[in-house]
Amino acid sequence: MVALLVVVSTVLGFGVLSRYQQNGPTLDLWNAICRGLGLSADTAPAKEPVPALRTPTRIAWTSNTLDQIAAGDAQRGAFIAMNCVACHGQGGVSTSTLIPTLAGMDPAVIYKQLDDYRSGKRLWGVMGAIGKVVSAQDSADVAAYFAVQSHGLPPLRGYRLPESGRSLREPDPAKRLVYAGDPQRGIPPCSACHGPGGYKLGAPALQGQHADYIERQLVAFAQGIRQNDIFEQMRMIAKQLTPDEMHAVAAFYGARGGAPSAAGVAVR
Amino acid sequence: MQNSSRLALYHYWVAFAVFLPAVVLGAWQMLIRSPLPAPLDDPDAYYASVTLHGTAMAYVVTTFFAMGFGYAVTATSLGRPVRGVAAAWICFVICLIGTLMAVAAVLAGHASVLYTFYPPLLASSWYYGGAFLLIGGSMIWVVLMIYNMTSWKRDNPGRPVPLAMFAITATAILWAWAASGVIVELVGILLPRSLGLTTEIDAGLARTLFSVTLHAIVYFWLMPAYIAFYTLLPQAAGGRLYSDTMGRLTFIMFIIFSVPVGMHHLFADPEHGAGMKFLQSFLTFFVALPTLLTVFSICASLEIAGRARGGRGLLGWIPALPWGEPMVLATGLSLVMLGLGGFGGLINMGYAMNSMIHNTSWVTAHFHMIFGGAVVIMYFAIAYEMWPRITGKPLQSKALARWQLWLWFAGMMIASIPWHITGLMGQPRRVAVFDYSDPFVARMGPLVIISVIGGAILLVSAILLIVILVRSQLGERRLEAPLRYALAVNPPKTVPAALNGFALWNAILLVLMVFAYGYPIGQFFILKSKVPAYEVSGPTNSVGGVDGP
Repeated sequence: MVALLVVVSTVLGFGVLSRYQQNGPTLDLWNAICRGLGLSADTAPAKEPVPALRTPTRIAWTSNTLDQIAAGDAQRGAFIAMNCVACHGQGGVSTSTLIPTLAGMDPAVIYKQLDDYRSGKRLWGVMGAIGKVVSAQDSADVAAYFAVQSHGLPPLRGYRLPESGRSLREPDPAKRLVYAGDPQRGIPPCSACHGPGGYKLGAPALQGQHADYIERQLVAFAQGIRQNDIFEQMRMIAKQLTPDEMHAVAAFYGARGGAPSAAGVAVR
Repeated sequence: MQNSSRLALYHYWVAFAVFLPAVVLGAWQMLIRSPLPAPLDDPDAYYASVTLHGTAMAYVVTTFFAMGFGYAVTATSLGRPVRGVAAAWICFVICLIGTLMAVAAVLAGHASVLYTFYPPLLASSWYYGGAFLLIGGSMIWVVLMIYNMTSWKRDNPGRPVPLAMFAITATAILWAWAASGVIVELVGILLPRSLGLTTEIDAGLARTLFSVTLHAIVYFWLMPAYIAFYTLLPQAAGGRLYSDTMGRLTFIMFIIFSVPVGMHHLFADPEHGAGMKFLQSFLTFFVALPTLLTVFSICASLEIAGRARGGRGLLGWIPALPWGEPMVLATGLSLVMLGLGGFGGLINMGYAMNSMIHNTSWVTAHFHMIFGGAVVIMYFAIAYEMWPRITGKPLQSKALARWQLWLWFAGMMIASIPWHITGLMGQPRRVAVFDYSDPFVARMGPLVIISVIGGAILLVSAILLIVILVRSQLGERRLEAPLRYALAVNPPKTVPAALNGFALWNAILLVLMVFAYGYPIGQFFILKSKVPAYEVSGPTNSVGGVDGP
């Protein structure tokens, strides 16, 4: 009986189920069996006009990329970083509220942004020019240097003590957006990727970053001026935020961090 | 106190000591998911709590309970002390250390990956190490069970192994097969990555390996309950077991049918082809056979008991049963939940129907009904049956025990039936907080609140359980009749070798496993499907340990 059921289910599973596709052409037997095993034989794309491929960044988080970043040499990076201090501050601690603090930033973030500037995926006059003169190895080195500088962004903590009010019931809109997001608008919580608590590869930790800088980036994403978010998630999110919400969220992160100029939030 | 009794008692106490806080967590999780205000509404706390609740209930409570039950059954059914007591204590200590390591990692917030691990999510190596010690350590118990059975067979050539011993050995063998998947996953994939020896995780392979464990583990949980059905219940009901052979067949069928079918947990996973899933869907239907056999023989055994007690007519034997006995009452309640949950399970295993309920609350409700309901209520009954025998101190009040069982049954029904319905309405599982102001979600609100009430009742029942056990433990020692296993209507004089050992069935299962999992696992050696991991334990998910100074 077992054998019979196996035969019947094999015939149905591989012969019939895989063969007749609801929205596709009927496959021949061999291709149907292959599909049933998960080997798709019909990999050719449908004949449709294909829009030109536009990628938001050249960086993919493969092992190669991660190995390249991990191989960054902080000592060599210190030498390269002498070119950065004029704007980003001594040791990467920026004093201008519109220029991000780099000290303590995850090296993968710095590496990706430099590559985006180099390839023109992120546009910002002077940084585009700088990006073009630093090599991939230089980027990794300088990223490694800034990552270990102190007095900048606070150290990241993956875990924080549980605290009430990190849910949709929270009345403060900034805190609610940061910790719970807004499901009805499809906005995930900021903290899932940017901390505190959750951090995703390539997403900068925002605690202690300049509020004005964060707010400006949100506006840039919302208006489509900045387009180097890999799956467009920041553009999707920022588009739906009101100016007040952008300001509140930026202030939340800026004020929370305890970074040198976190007080300079208000002016807008 | 006899050494094997102390062994069993310590295992039971660990199981129930972990059980109570895990129920508290469960009740709180119910609350935070609901529209009602909850203390500590923090999603991260929810995921840590789900991980702790799942790990405690699925691995710790069950493994310790099954191990303790195994030692008790070995000593009482073979009528001689457990052999290898020193190894058993070593096993106990290893499992306890593993439990503490895993619990510490979850409490420290470094392991919110749920008990099913979900790679490429990556937890602290303490969590995986703890899980490995607990599951790997319990393999010592597996060996001890097999050793005790074979040495008894050697000393008693030609005599059939008592059904209880045969069944607990089947449980041990089933657990070894089931655990093989998760052990390979831990040792081969998760531990090396969490220790930094590798850089990537093959999530598809890891999930496929875990699926080997994921279904059979359910039957590992279930087996103590089934052993009670076959060997304790008929005695408690005052009758005889309908058929000894049917019992043996059932436990053998559990071994060979429940392990090769775990892939039906992967129906929505992209790494396997539709044909393979469809085939597995069919294979899964076989696991209904041993359960249907059991329901038949248990009802038959109860009918024998009922008629022996003077029940007449078509259904007159049912009220004639001694429903005041916790074991009989628990069985009745358990069968109701097993029936409801079982039909839900048929929906889960259907390839097409599964897509309606996959990853919805339905699934969570289903395994709470089956495991939290049908199985755990039998654990309670086993505890009530065994505690007095082990300690020599009788239960203080059978009425309180009956209350506890009824409350558990009521709580589980009230919690899980609305839970099933919200699943059908599309409520996803593993979500901490729902936006009840959304009209789509709002209509689930009242049902979720009913579930919360069920959760609270379950909590009361769990507290009552501990009260009953502690009162019994603190009570005065009185002589108790030794544990008697049910006799079959026709007690076996001899049984065929195939029904007195497991060699043949292990060989058959090996063939089935190669057939069922050969290609699904083999394909990963060709596919290049590894990805970077997402560490939940810390912020440095990118490039090796750069933390702010």
